[in-house]
Amino acid sequence: MNGVMVRGWSALSSAGIGTRALSDRIAGMDLDTAPTGPDTEFAEPLPAPGHAVTGFDPVARLGRKGTSTYDRVTALTSVCCQEALEEAGTVVDDTTSPRIGVVLGTTLGSLKSSSDFERDTLVHARPYMVNPRLFPTGVMNFAAGQVAIRFGLRGVNATLAGGDVAFFNGLRYAATMLGHGRAEVMLTGAAEEFTPHRAWAAHLTGGTAAPLGEGAAMFVLTRPDAPSWTGPDRWAHVRGVATGFGAGDRSGAALTGCVIRLLEETRTDPAVVTTVLTGEATADDTTEYGPVAQALGQSPRRMMVKRLLGECSAASAALALSFLLAADADPGLTLLTARGRDGSVGAALVEVLPRCRR
Amino acid sequence: MPADPPEQFVNRVAVTGLGPVSSIGSGISIFADALFSGNSGISRISRFDPSGFPYQHAGEVVGFDPAHYLRRLDPAEWGRSSQLAAAAARLAVADARLDPHRIDPTRAHAIIGTTSGESAVIEAVTAQLVAAGFPGQDPALLAQLPANRIAHAVSMELGLEGESLTIANACSASNCAIGYGYDLLSDGRADVVLAGGAESVCRWIHAGFYRLGAVADNVCAPFDRDRAGLLTGEGGAVLVLETFEHARARGARIYAEVLGYAVNCDASHPVAPDLDGISACMRAAHLDAGVKPSDVDYISAHGTGTRVGDQVEGQAILDVFGPEPPPVSSIKSMIGHTMGAASAFGAIASILAIDRGLLPPTMNFGSVDPGLAGLDTVPNAARPATVRVAQNNGFAFAGDNAIVMLGAVA
Repeated sequence: MNGVMVRGWSALSSAGIGTRALSDRIAGMDLDTAPTGPDTEFAEPLPAPGHAVTGFDPVARLGRKGTSTYDRVTALTSVCCQEALEEAGTVVDDTTSPRIGVVLGTTLGSLKSSSDFERDTLVHARPYMVNPRLFPTGVMNFAAGQVAIRFGLRGVNATLAGGDVAFFNGLRYAATMLGHGRAEVMLTGAAEEFTPHRAWAAHLTGGTAAPLGEGAAMFVLTRPDAPSWTGPDRWAHVRGVATGFGAGDRSGAALTGCVIRLLEETRTDPAVVTTVLTGEATADDTTEYGPVAQALGQSPRRMMVKRLLGECSAASAALALSFLLAADADPGLTLLTARGRDGSVGAALVEVLPRCRR
Repeated sequence: MPADPPEQFVNRVAVTGLGPVSSIGSGISIFADALFSGNSGISRISRFDPSGFPYQHAGEVVGFDPAHYLRRLDPAEWGRSSQLAAAAARLAVADARLDPHRIDPTRAHAIIGTTSGESAVIEAVTAQLVAAGFPGQDPALLAQLPANRIAHAVSMELGLEGESLTIANACSASNCAIGYGYDLLSDGRADVVLAGGAESVCRWIHAGFYRLGAVADNVCAPFDRDRAGLLTGEGGAVLVLETFEHARARGARIYAEVLGYAVNCDASHPVAPDLDGISACMRAAHLDAGVKPSDVDYISAHGTGTRVGDQVEGQAILDVFGPEPPPVSSIKSMIGHTMGAASAFGAIASILAIDRGLLPPTMNFGSVDPGLAGLDTVPNAARPATVRVAQNNGFAFAGDNAIVMLGAVA
């Protein structure tokens, strides 16, 4: 497989909404920015502040129609997809829509939506007096399905519950759909919401190295030889992606093996990898960088996007790619990696293309 | 107008092992006997207290003991959906006579579908939340929540080191999993894929379907004129998929071949099915598999037993196949709607039909729906038939359609 092309993208994070907000934040480069949110009023207390998307008004961006049932992750995803499709200039019409697919990475959809629905069955005298319109929001494929409905995308529509590695699962799934001719465009990314439910679950299970964050990043992907209706630009070439699994302490070796497979499959000389974007958050933590450097046989520059945007779980690696595209400097050939807490690992090799750098 | 698949994707994909953990029995021979006998797996709900609900039945895997199946996983660390997936995977490799230690672990993937993930764990932590607030939630249960763990349970139980992916495309998810596994095998990125689905019965899913008006009292009667709705169900269903080359090199029995699949999205409504989207998915699946409608000998229906769902599916079949379509049956009449596992159970039923020359029945069938005249639903009793090509339907919330085509191997 010859990899996939990034034809357009957008991102929502604590840095703001859209490509420019992220570029501006990176230009200021306040690593270790204090968590700023959320600015949403939750009825429940939070264990700690987080890197939330602030000033976010989905109705202002999407209109009132269809948004009344949206939970936060669905709103973040929908706005992000709207921006990414616009950015790419992809033509969506009756002819092209069956050839445009969506793949969205998540950990478990909206824990808040599922839990709130369950809660209603517990607190009402009659347990079945739940709001049926909210039922689908508790099911994990709601956000990706709403993207399809809102933008009329009738191709494959996949929700991948990959947790920390979800974006790599998504890239691989998208590359497979494109490579097998099952789609011409794959709107690919991941999203995660900041809610009391997720914040408390993270807090009670040992906390996270970076403050909890949220966001979405979506990329319009095609094969390198895509037709013109898919859009005019080429932002980056994702040369390859690999995933793997290692139980317990075998996951470090799994990550090393995963990177080696990726280098072999893409016939890449490990010496030319200049930058690694990892999922760690502190300099003294090398649980991910160590196995990666071992595979490369060298120690390239490491960047930790979670220090800027927080622990965004499934969305972290997707936001790391958006960081790469938003940055002004040429990163050179870059490896994106993840080592999930449950044993899954992933890596992608990305070449940012110069003529589209802004 | 799909592009022709590139020529290098030529590996044929074999089904060599079947692992059902279901309300009508677990292990392939017990499951098959129950399926062809038309047994019912429906019972009064015990997984949660159903006393406040007007309808109180579901297809539970009563008495499921994960420790009976699992060798590596400690069941106490895993949610019920993960347990069901891993148990089904154990049964599948045993049926395939595949020793997981004798394969390249990095070329063996676990691709598992689900609708609501560890829904029973969500139920448990929410009950704690209601009783004692967020700080009262049990960290050990919270750690079981991530849905990615369902596939990881399979990977860890069998020592697989390839991709470990939970596909969350709701009720067509396990057809998506089989399809993705087919792609990974056909293009040479895998030797073995454990593909299937898992789902747990829980309170909030029961309540949600009930309030949609989609649940029946205690009988699921797909395609019947008087059908009243679905019954929620649970289980784990996993298939061993291998390249023909890999299967033949180890002398494996090949049940059937995956001929191809299609996935699309109605992009029209969060819960209601769409005739055009489903018809288009059937046609695309036939094209992908290289078969004509007249080649199809059996359709394992999505057939949940709801008024609208069965009407649209039946109409789509009549539209695509004409006035005399092949026999169509729904095993949900026996095991209920196992959601994320439903398509994998349908695939197992289709493969058994091919392997045994016997069509699974649609049980509880009383009278023909005049809106679906011409549909042969294999009513109430299994029927001998030669099945060369079977079509396995899976449809879902958000209009996620996925259809897998299976074929006999000469």
